[in-house]
Amino acid sequence: MQGFSITDLVVASVLLAGLYATMAYGLGLIYGVLRVVNLNHGGVIMAGAYVGLVMHEKLGVDPYLSIPVVLVVSFALGIAIYVGLVRHLPRGAAGGVQSLLLLFGVWLVLQNAAYLLFTGNDQTIRTEYSTRSIPAFGLFLSVNRLVVFVIAVLTMVVLHLFLTRTFTGKAIRAVAQNPDSCTLVGIDVERIYSLTFGIGTALAGLAGVLGASLFSFNPTYGSGDLLKSFVIVVLGGLGSVMGTAAAALILALVEVFAILVLPAYLTGAVGFVLLVLVLVLRPGGLFGQRVLG
Amino acid sequence: MTTPRTLLIGVLLSFGATSLVSRAANAADTIKIGATLPLTGAESRIGGFYKEGYEYAFEQQNKKGGVKVGDKTMKVELQLLDDTSTQSTAVNLADRLINSDKVNFLLGTYATNLVEAQSAAAEQNQMLYVNGGGAASAIYKRGYKWVFGLLAPVELLAESMMKWIDQEQKAGKLPKPAKIALLWENTSHGKDFRKGVSDFAKKSGGGFEVAVDESFELNGKDFSALLGKVKASNVDLFLSDAHLPDYITMQRQYVTAGMCHKILSYGARGSEKQAAEALGKKNVEYILSAVWWSPLLAQKNPIAKEFATGFKAKYGRDPEWYQALGYETARALFTAIEQAGSLDKTKVREKLVAMKIPSLLPGGQLDFPAEFGQQSHAPFVVQQNQPDGSSPIIAPADSATGQGVAPNPTCGK
Repeated sequence: MQGFSITDLVVASVLLAGLYATMAYGLGLIYGVLRVVNLNHGGVIMAGAYVGLVMHEKLGVDPYLSIPVVLVVSFALGIAIYVGLVRHLPRGAAGGVQSLLLLFGVWLVLQNAAYLLFTGNDQTIRTEYSTRSIPAFGLFLSVNRLVVFVIAVLTMVVLHLFLTRTFTGKAIRAVAQNPDSCTLVGIDVERIYSLTFGIGTALAGLAGVLGASLFSFNPTYGSGDLLKSFVIVVLGGLGSVMGTAAAALILALVEVFAILVLPAYLTGAVGFVLLVLVLVLRPGGLFGQRVLG
Repeated sequence: MTTPRTLLIGVLLSFGATSLVSRAANAADTIKIGATLPLTGAESRIGGFYKEGYEYAFEQQNKKGGVKVGDKTMKVELQLLDDTSTQSTAVNLADRLINSDKVNFLLGTYATNLVEAQSAAAEQNQMLYVNGGGAASAIYKRGYKWVFGLLAPVELLAESMMKWIDQEQKAGKLPKPAKIALLWENTSHGKDFRKGVSDFAKKSGGGFEVAVDESFELNGKDFSALLGKVKASNVDLFLSDAHLPDYITMQRQYVTAGMCHKILSYGARGSEKQAAEALGKKNVEYILSAVWWSPLLAQKNPIAKEFATGFKAKYGRDPEWYQALGYETARALFTAIEQAGSLDKTKVREKLVAMKIPSLLPGGQLDFPAEFGQQSHAPFVVQQNQPDGSSPIIAPADSATGQGVAPNPTCGK
């Protein structure tokens, strides 16, 4: 397209991919290890956004500095949901529908709690740098989006190192591969499940607070993110951190570049077309099935 | 001989009978008006505003003694239910109000999608349905007989804004032809906005040219590609139609992308205090908006003044257009009942069809023109944010409280 800056589109895609990847890590991790589709993922993203808002409004804490608090709160919430609810479900295919219904119910509870506490009003977190940008390569790069991207990359690296270099991470991968054998070698599988659910939920909370620094949100926030996360996790191959990051980049590139050939309102649907194609042609995801890491 | 037990039963029975007679008498002296509003769910904030408007209208009417129906004055009672911002609930509750609760009339809910679904239920039941919450012209193009709307169509919103822009162009302040980037949300609201701007541009005789015409999905995450397209097209006017969350997200990205246009607008959005807080006062300067009502109308319209003063006394803050439309919707129905002198739906409907009453709306008159499917076509007020944080009405001239500025003086600074 005449006059259209390709650099602009590439940069926009890369920055968007950071946010997308952060949204999807938690969903992929929980499914990869527990084989549970966490429909409450969107609810925790929304809750993370509100924790960030409360920290900012009531205590004056910058949304990025509130990340440790959001991680701890979301982790605790994840552990509580696992220990109180998910643990009691049958494992494998038998628990599939039950876990979907249960976690969807938890999402509704969280959503209605948010309505009760914060009403349905749209909320926004505004900081001094909300509208600040840095000129580079002839473009204006949003400070907020750059920070979100850097955090997304750091999360990816830390998660990858945790899963591949630490004993607990290796135990998580082992449980994802064969929980029965893990019991034989002394790994507390229940503890690993609960820890994984907590980490996955904490990552969803992180995505929430990052999103809150960029967008307006209300108690329905998170539902769109859940759908995109599904697309990314399936594209990347279930249980692969690097695959998730790469799939987030592919989705962002496809969505952003679609504007060259499609009306803008259809660009959001391109990801779903891609999802169908991948499911038909490469059901294991673009990068195949891996056991995390 | 009467035992104490028999006596007690007798007393209770007579008390019950008296209570029933009294309730029947009260019911006969009361007009029951049903309504649903989105008091929870996605639209709860605005649903709450409409509730305030309805309740204030009912309170004021009852303070006057009620509504005159022929030779007697009847109190009005609002039976308000929460439709939870969902279409199916809005329809089910309308059915319940009509068929189980036997209300005399219905007032509408808020939000185009809810009104669109609920008004169909009212029409099927031949129940008079007056609403101030559905603006899309599609609602009124279905040939419905029992549905009346106070919100003028969004096409007219776009046209009101374009008239002011045209005036500035004719005064030599804007280039001719002026290139427009037209971005609209992919809803009936957005489509009406697009039609209003496009039709005006076509009729302008070369004054305006739509160079970018793109729609976007509600609650978008990233508008950078769309804004990149606008940037590449070197347009003069940036006209977008967005709901509040998208307005805030898009304007944030617009500002961080270093964009600036001679005219910048987000349709009905722009003058909200919440947006100024979310974006910073400086980043909403000179944004143009058009709305159905503004408290500033109180400076020139006595009905608007009476409403705005009374509302502020009750709630301790200025009303927004939502409360004003809620109030005026109920007032239109009360007036039609009084004019009909009857609770007969057909007679009240005839009065609404013929209605021409002084109103708090811009233009000072309320009617429901048959050629527009009984949808009010009251003009919009055009406002522009100023550096001092105010948003005076700049058009139409008879309602203006300040002067508009074009082109945007902050561009290039």
